[in-house]
Amino acid sequence: MNKIFNSVDLIPEIQWVIAIILLILVFATLLFWIWNMIKPSKLVDEMKIRTRSWWIMCCIFLFASIVNPVVTYFALGFLSFLTLRELYSQLKLRKIDRSVLFFCYLSIPIQYFLAFKGYYTLFLIFIPVFMFIIIPFLLVLTGETKDIIRSMCILPTSLMLGVFGISHLALLISFPEMNSNGVSGKALLLFLIFITEANDIMQFVWGKIFGKHKILPKVSPNKTWEGFIGGVISTTIIGYFMGFLTPLNTWQLILLSSSIAVFGFMGDAIMSAVKRDFGVKDMSNAIPGHGGVLDRVDSLSTTASPFFHIVYFIIISS
Amino acid sequence: MKKILLIFIYSFLWRNFLRIFIGLKYYNNKTLKNKKQFILIANHNSHMDTMAIMSAIPSRYIHRVHPIAARDFFGGSLFKKILMRYLVNATLIKRDRTDPENDPIDSMDKMLKKSRSLILYPEGSRGIPGVMSNFKKGLGYLIQRNPDVDVIPVYLDNVYKTLPKGKKIILPYNCSINFGEPIKFNSYELEDILESSEKAISKLVD
Repeated sequence: MNKIFNSVDLIPEIQWVIAIILLILVFATLLFWIWNMIKPSKLVDEMKIRTRSWWIMCCIFLFASIVNPVVTYFALGFLSFLTLRELYSQLKLRKIDRSVLFFCYLSIPIQYFLAFKGYYTLFLIFIPVFMFIIIPFLLVLTGETKDIIRSMCILPTSLMLGVFGISHLALLISFPEMNSNGVSGKALLLFLIFITEANDIMQFVWGKIFGKHKILPKVSPNKTWEGFIGGVISTTIIGYFMGFLTPLNTWQLILLSSSIAVFGFMGDAIMSAVKRDFGVKDMSNAIPGHGGVLDRVDSLSTTASPFFHIVYFIIISS
Repeated sequence: MKKILLIFIYSFLWRNFLRIFIGLKYYNNKTLKNKKQFILIANHNSHMDTMAIMSAIPSRYIHRVHPIAARDFFGGSLFKKILMRYLVNATLIKRDRTDPENDPIDSMDKMLKKSRSLILYPEGSRGIPGVMSNFKKGLGYLIQRNPDVDVIPVYLDNVYKTLPKGKKIILPYNCSINFGEPIKFNSYELEDILESSEKAISKLVD
């Protein structure tokens, strides 16, 4: 136990972020509490449930991300696992694909081990190259070719969504270039998650207040042009003020935050379309008020790898 | 000793494994909380069904709850028998009726008279996944003989997907186990009992 807590080294920037997150949560809790006293409605009730879930998620995340890197790896790996489980419980796979699912789950510990060791190249190609060849071949080994193309496409892609994207969060805290010369991987991790979730919330809020023109009428009626543009602008502003966590200058920050906002929107839209295909509103009821785990990490799975590579590019080119 | 072992295996190991790793959700398992004796009837598609139900039972009287298993299927070797007896707490019953001593209803009845609780799968065998087959009459005879024992319906939703028939690896799948209220029988006619218990389980499907 001592060993775990001894390794906690909180640089002042991270302490600031924790304070900001807790302040926002307290503010939201009070806001909806007072709002509910003045004018109770269904929306406020839902917001209260959502805020409660945010408290739990933030506490788990902050605990896992600051205590010990090893704890962070296990927590992120478990997040990947939950995402895959949720996806495979909804996908209507063939019965025979079951034997291959085991190898899909097995790729989680391998991918996070590669991240832990910091084997950068192997980490990058393990899923897009090796798993994209191995999994279709394992499907071939089952001998059943009816509808095999569907499984061949779905299973590796599910790994891209659930494992590859999220594991970049783990790579942030182990990658040598991200943890030297005054750069802190932990701070970058907090920045990314803060910006991505802020983007989700901002798009939601702007869409709820000003939303009129639907951006994807057939896929998701909740997504509007007003929400998207408002979200990108406010995320960029938030990213600018949270820039003390990163080694970047103003222009790089603006570019980075706005591209995270756009990528986050893309992830949201992709998962909305998938859910529409399944004919469900939420992936599961794991998180009260939010739906499933995948409903929460959908944007994270598409922002993590672009964020990592943009930051990496900026760091090595400067 | 056996009680401690069962509590450790089910209330600790299996419950956490099923909840965290497999993704099993327990609904209304508080129904069992203050009941001394009951018969649990459930739909049956997989060996995981027994594990899921046993892990939901309050640890206080887990040693008094016996899943009923067929001796010709589960009692093949001595090793299997010991496993079933100590790790599953199962009661093995003989199915052939050539010898009147072996009547399965009698042996279950004896268990109930000793104020033990039973887990029954009235469909008989694991059957086709997701489809409920007709209930066996034995359940009706047993309830007729023990009208004051609570009969609690249990519905296992998608639990079979974690370990389908004939497969060896357990894989995660979001599934749930739902406990109902004790069944109230209008009359203790055989057909009436079977019909209302079938209805009680299908009511839990949602």
